[in-house]
Amino acid sequence: MQTCKTLWKRFWNMQESGVILATMIFILIITCVNSVFLTPDNLSNVLRSTGFTLLTTLGITLVLISGGLDLSVGSVYALGGTVCAKCLVAGVPLWISVLCGLLSGIVVGIVNGFIIVKLNIPPLIVTLGMMYIARGVVYVMTQGVPVYPLPDEFKALEQSSVIGSIPNVVVLSLVLAVLTNILMKRTALGRQIYAVGGNADAARISGINVGRTKMFVYILTGVLAALTGILMTSRLGSAQALAGQGYEMTVIAAAIIGGTSTYAGVGTVLGSVLGALFMEVLSNSLTLLRISVYWQNIVIGVVLIVAVIIDTYRRVLMSKREINELK
Amino acid sequence: MQEPVLQLRDICKKFVGVIALDHVSFTLSKGEILALLGENGAGKSTLMKILSGLYPYGSFEGDIILNGKKQRFHSPREAEKAGIAMIPQEISLELDLSITENIMLGKRPQKRTGFIDWKKAHETAKALLNELGISSIDVKMPARSLNSSMQQLVSIARALYCKPHILILDEPTSCLTQSETEVVFSAIRKLKKNGVSCLYISHKLNEVFTLCDRVVVLRDGQYVSEYAQDMFEGDAIIHDIVGKALDTYEKHIRAIQPKEILRVDHFAVAHPYSYGKMIVEDASFSLYEGEILGLCGLVGSGRSELLGSIFGAVPKLRGTLTLEGKRVKVRQPADAKKIGIGMLTEDRKKDGIVACLSVRENVSLTILKALKKGVFLNKEKERGLVNEYIQRLRIKTTGTETRIGTLSGGNQQKAIVAKWLATEMKVLILDEPTRGIDVGTKREMYQLIRTLAQNGLSIIVASSEMSELLQLCDRFAILAGGRIKTIISGKQATEELLLKECSQL
Repeated sequence: MQTCKTLWKRFWNMQESGVILATMIFILIITCVNSVFLTPDNLSNVLRSTGFTLLTTLGITLVLISGGLDLSVGSVYALGGTVCAKCLVAGVPLWISVLCGLLSGIVVGIVNGFIIVKLNIPPLIVTLGMMYIARGVVYVMTQGVPVYPLPDEFKALEQSSVIGSIPNVVVLSLVLAVLTNILMKRTALGRQIYAVGGNADAARISGINVGRTKMFVYILTGVLAALTGILMTSRLGSAQALAGQGYEMTVIAAAIIGGTSTYAGVGTVLGSVLGALFMEVLSNSLTLLRISVYWQNIVIGVVLIVAVIIDTYRRVLMSKREINELK
Repeated sequence: MQEPVLQLRDICKKFVGVIALDHVSFTLSKGEILALLGENGAGKSTLMKILSGLYPYGSFEGDIILNGKKQRFHSPREAEKAGIAMIPQEISLELDLSITENIMLGKRPQKRTGFIDWKKAHETAKALLNELGISSIDVKMPARSLNSSMQQLVSIARALYCKPHILILDEPTSCLTQSETEVVFSAIRKLKKNGVSCLYISHKLNEVFTLCDRVVVLRDGQYVSEYAQDMFEGDAIIHDIVGKALDTYEKHIRAIQPKEILRVDHFAVAHPYSYGKMIVEDASFSLYEGEILGLCGLVGSGRSELLGSIFGAVPKLRGTLTLEGKRVKVRQPADAKKIGIGMLTEDRKKDGIVACLSVRENVSLTILKALKKGVFLNKEKERGLVNEYIQRLRIKTTGTETRIGTLSGGNQQKAIVAKWLATEMKVLILDEPTRGIDVGTKREMYQLIRTLAQNGLSIIVASSEMSELLQLCDRFAILAGGRIKTIISGKQATEELLLKECSQL
């Protein structure tokens, strides 16, 4: 009994407890109502879309923790896919094409970071502008026409599976999640990202290069968004100018539901993995419950707000308790 | 003497465990400029808060008698209606609004239709500025385009809008230069001619002497003395401000070898509030190995700015820094850290602690590079190190993982010191090391600073409490008028002497 209680307490004290509980409850309800959810096909679907969301959520999580924001990821998603596809169509070798796609994400990240850090412009404005610019570049490049046909070996990147029948994107996103987690928990750079978000002035006074730290998170996010776009292009077999519209909001929502604080300085990679999973379980189950797509947006919005409300109050309670313990 | 406008009788105010004001009484005559003098914590601001209605009737004892009638202010608004207006210490204008809008803030005249009567508003604003002797100014200009003395005058004009009999000015010249101060003074004198009485709070004695008709000295919440204009005498007044009891402080006079470790030459720093001006114009001094040097200066003298510029937190306009005989370049705090300079800043919430991180993560923030083992942080070493400092500095915390934001101010401050001790620096800069700390922790902090110096660390301390500096320091550098005016040895130093030098008497 006692161990049960301490276990529960430890669980509750975890930053991610809320999203874990919510995800489990949803899965429970949906399996009771519709047995389709647990079929391998459906699960594979859910995991695959989780993978696509998660990749960029990892970057966005770091951006939010560092006290920034990146609205350009949806457009970079399209840009990465388009640049890669254009290269392929022009006959550039596979890996070089992929590299070019990733490079476009890096360039956007560098420009974002440079303007935010060196010119001291608010990230909301910089990345909002970049959202239009990158999308515009995609339209100019494609003239609105899908880019195809793409070589089979490129399509195989996403459509085949390296490990059993688990989609490649799932494997890749989990590997990157583990790496990001190590980065945040065990390296100096990770600690700097938390410190910069928690109090940039104090970080600077402590001799931390705040600018370089911020630069890193924007570049990382750019690369990850471009990578996601490339994989989606591989999955669809063509690059679309409209790809990734609204994607920026999905990944920000996933990070926030996963417990990343909008006040910066707080958040975990595990939370974001769960947040991404929750978003996809939610939309999948709403579909299985035959709730119209129109209603789904309302539900997601409500869930997002409720998650933040719960998180805020939990934080207040916890800091009260910490102060009491100290006394 | 002229008829009294305001009488304060036996004002007492207690906070939990502290008597802030103890039977304070004085009167203010019509058209008089009365200066209220005293150290930090003497009770000046408490008294002004009572007078301006911020502490409502009932939260203190004693009577406020205005024009012969007892007053009961329940809010600042009521005090304003009765004719008492207060101008806060920092200029608090909305810089992007026009002069008119600033003056008429919250009281804009309306037409019958409910729209703002701009014509009337501009005229009123102009008339109010006229009262202060300013006629050639476009009231439609944004407040940002004004220099700081004009901004201060605009805030005075705002206070004049409700036609006060009494104007309270709290350190109105703390961000002004000498010539700007003159502009504000002539405006105040003009008001005096029109029969407005002023209560003037300032640390700058020389200004008080040129402007005021009478001074009242407060100390530890009590009325000490008053002097009429013809009796003004610097030494006597400083003596009253400081009091006798304080000289009994134990001074720790040590024999310091004058072996220079740090040399600051011709530092100049821009003024933080007003564009194009310098708060520090040409400051030079040296720091000896193992000594504690006190940097003394009044509010607005640029103490923090000078220290910040040595550390690279504030950009300097010019000046050179020499550490152990070698010229060094410090452009940002990271450079200072590299060559062995650490700094505890004035406002720990603003740029000292990262409140949402643990004590461990805060202390190790300066030594992340040293903690690297390959790509990873060596967490065991980190935890051990932090635990060591928690014990050595006696930081009261439940453990290394407690969030630093939940610790008391004094313990947060100790953690920041720990953060720098971990870097093995040679020079430590402490800006207001005991601000907002309880007495017990303060004493511990003093002990800690002394021990560090005995172990060979060279320390610069700045504080607005002269008594604190006297207890700690081996030498004193006086910062006044943007320069290091003089250096005073520990043996010579008394609170009176320091205050006198700082006031440029």
